[in-house]
Amino acid sequence: MSHYDVIVIGSGPAGQKSSVQAAKAGKKVALIEQDKSLGGACVHRGTIPSKTLRENALRVKKMRENAALCNFELAEDLELSTLIDRLSRVLQAHDNFMVHQIERNHIDRIHGRARFLSPTSLEVVNVKGETQTLSAEHIVIASGSIPRQPDNIPIDHENIFDSDSILSMLYLPQSLTVLGGGVIASEYASIFQALGVKVTMIDRYPRPLGFMDEDLVEKFVGSFSEMGGTWIGEKVVESVEWDGLSQVITRCSDGTEVRSSKLLCAAGRVANVAGLDIEKAGLSLNEYGNIPVDDMLQTVVPSVYAAGDVIGPPSLASASMEQGRRASCNALGLEVGPMSKMIPSGIYGIPELSSVGLTEQQAAKEHGDILVGKASFEEISRGQINGIRDGVLKIICDAQGRKILGVQIVGEGATELIHIGQMAMLADQPVDIFVESIFNYPTLAEAYRVAALAVIGKRNANRDRY
Amino acid sequence: MTTLEQNLSDLGIDVAALLEQQLLSHFIDVPILPDVATRVLQLSNDPDSDASTLAKLIQSDQTLAGHVMRIANSAAYTPNASMVSLQQAVARLGMQLISEIAIAASVNSKLFKAPGYEKRIEEIWLHALSSAFWGKEIARASRQNVEASFLCGLLHTIGRPAVLQCIADLEQKHEAQLSEEENRLLEDHFHIQFGLEIVNNWEMPKIVCEAIRHYRNYQESPRPEQSMVVHAASKAAKAMIWPDEYSMEQLAEEGVFADLNLYSDEVEKLIAQSEKVKAEVEAMRL
Repeated sequence: MSHYDVIVIGSGPAGQKSSVQAAKAGKKVALIEQDKSLGGACVHRGTIPSKTLRENALRVKKMRENAALCNFELAEDLELSTLIDRLSRVLQAHDNFMVHQIERNHIDRIHGRARFLSPTSLEVVNVKGETQTLSAEHIVIASGSIPRQPDNIPIDHENIFDSDSILSMLYLPQSLTVLGGGVIASEYASIFQALGVKVTMIDRYPRPLGFMDEDLVEKFVGSFSEMGGTWIGEKVVESVEWDGLSQVITRCSDGTEVRSSKLLCAAGRVANVAGLDIEKAGLSLNEYGNIPVDDMLQTVVPSVYAAGDVIGPPSLASASMEQGRRASCNALGLEVGPMSKMIPSGIYGIPELSSVGLTEQQAAKEHGDILVGKASFEEISRGQINGIRDGVLKIICDAQGRKILGVQIVGEGATELIHIGQMAMLADQPVDIFVESIFNYPTLAEAYRVAALAVIGKRNANRDRY
Repeated sequence: MTTLEQNLSDLGIDVAALLEQQLLSHFIDVPILPDVATRVLQLSNDPDSDASTLAKLIQSDQTLAGHVMRIANSAAYTPNASMVSLQQAVARLGMQLISEIAIAASVNSKLFKAPGYEKRIEEIWLHALSSAFWGKEIARASRQNVEASFLCGLLHTIGRPAVLQCIADLEQKHEAQLSEEENRLLEDHFHIQFGLEIVNNWEMPKIVCEAIRHYRNYQESPRPEQSMVVHAASKAAKAMIWPDEYSMEQLAEEGVFADLNLYSDEVEKLIAQSEKVKAEVEAMRL
């Protein structure tokens, strides 16, 4: 039996950072990954491939919008690989980076599937059926998540896909039904629509991305519809079937029927713990199907920590990385500062959406009176120059119009732009900082100044009123 | 003298040379089974038959499927596209047009005429269709493209009936007959080259050409995972059809599953699909 200080299960964002942190602390570390390559679903089936596809979808959209310049038309039934052309290079670069990092830090990389034998030992079976037993002072579970498969959706990965298999499609279908209204559903729906696929989104809720600011969602749905997409809310999907010929038929409880070439079921993700035998470590899942942890990312079993999607929301790669790092620090007794509660969320749809702090609706509920300043990208020089006119930046402030409660952005560059607002909030700066500071010109950051001026204008108007 | 020639009679060596010439001529007939052509015409004249019956028939036969995909992929129908499945062709062109293409293919293609080879043709048909269905299951398990795996499995041995027809024609011309063993040697030796010649002439999608070229040596494929699927599917079909010759236990030991990153429980689950695949193949019989 090989003994380690720390064993990490899973090499996604959480597992990678966890193992590197433990190794940097001088510990003997093993990283177990069941796939051939490192990186987990994030790298190989989710975040990175979909963002690579998105970049090309954006190019296609821009070329269409500038048809007068290039007379552009996308070939029908285009091979998807053409649209993710840079993916292999992106993945190879990522894999090389990870492999070097793992080697540089003397982490033992083990290709196989792990299962608990006890709170401190694991059995690993490799793909050839060979087994080995490992033990460790600390074990970090970072095994990620897998798509949830509703009983009434017969996912066959041929015509009816889940979010892990959708990019195995070889060609762009003529039409696509997307079930769900969450992040993954919204991202893929808008990306495929931008590529010219006729997309229909169906969900039980009245609008997609229910946790986001209503103005942003309205802009997103408007842009999706403008591209030719159809949003069908407040519908319960009863059944999905392949007609045996060329169409997937989606039937809703009210009799609505939608036919499409392919279907994507994006009904959320669940913790990937099958086969881990967590009960042998003394663990069990909570009511949401996740591994419960405390603030230290420690499970009920002192030797076992967990991080990333396997512990549930926010299920963001960014948060998972930090959780992974902290799980190792906490396990090894290394000092870490408090984890920021302020985590920005980014939705890589077309357009992009990003949020930090409270939405306008949440702020109104929590604080009563609030002041909101908005800037449309249309009134920003850089927005005009870049042709990004359908963006909005909102700053939500307290009733006095000073404290920033949240920043909400929709439009190209939103996921980068949000960090300016995040840093101002983390530094507890008043909204005035955006007016008093000098930003590069012309940039989209000017939207902060415009929105801040709107807040200050309302603040001054209120002052004059009383 | 090549290894192949060492195992052939004088007639066999002559036939091998003629097959080489045939390859150099770049013109290889892919004959359709007369029963299949008849059935296409019957279905197209039957007002009660539905589109799915004809679609099923097209999918069940490698030569008919090949001809239909060849025409559907031609510049006349899809100048910029490269279609990898019948459902893609149906979605793109409509079943009416696909029916017309199937009729045209049935009427215009050479009919298979090789007396004495009926059993072997039946075996090739069965293996091709079984490989297609196994291809789907293996692709599903390994998250490869399921849709194209069917066509790749179906067409990976498209060269075999063409080789067989050539041999039968040459035998008739020379009024002599090769032994079954020699026939098999020639078929095994030439079918990949014949298959490649056919699909290249037909301008079939790259994925299909690669399936034929690399299903035996998948590591050299530009898309190794897809070629692994066809390799494994071909082996699985063999184990299902000829269990005395090659068992499911032997199949489970194949290194291709580890190369596809399929763990033993996943391989077991796959092999447990045998009855399902058998039933699907049976349902496709004429």
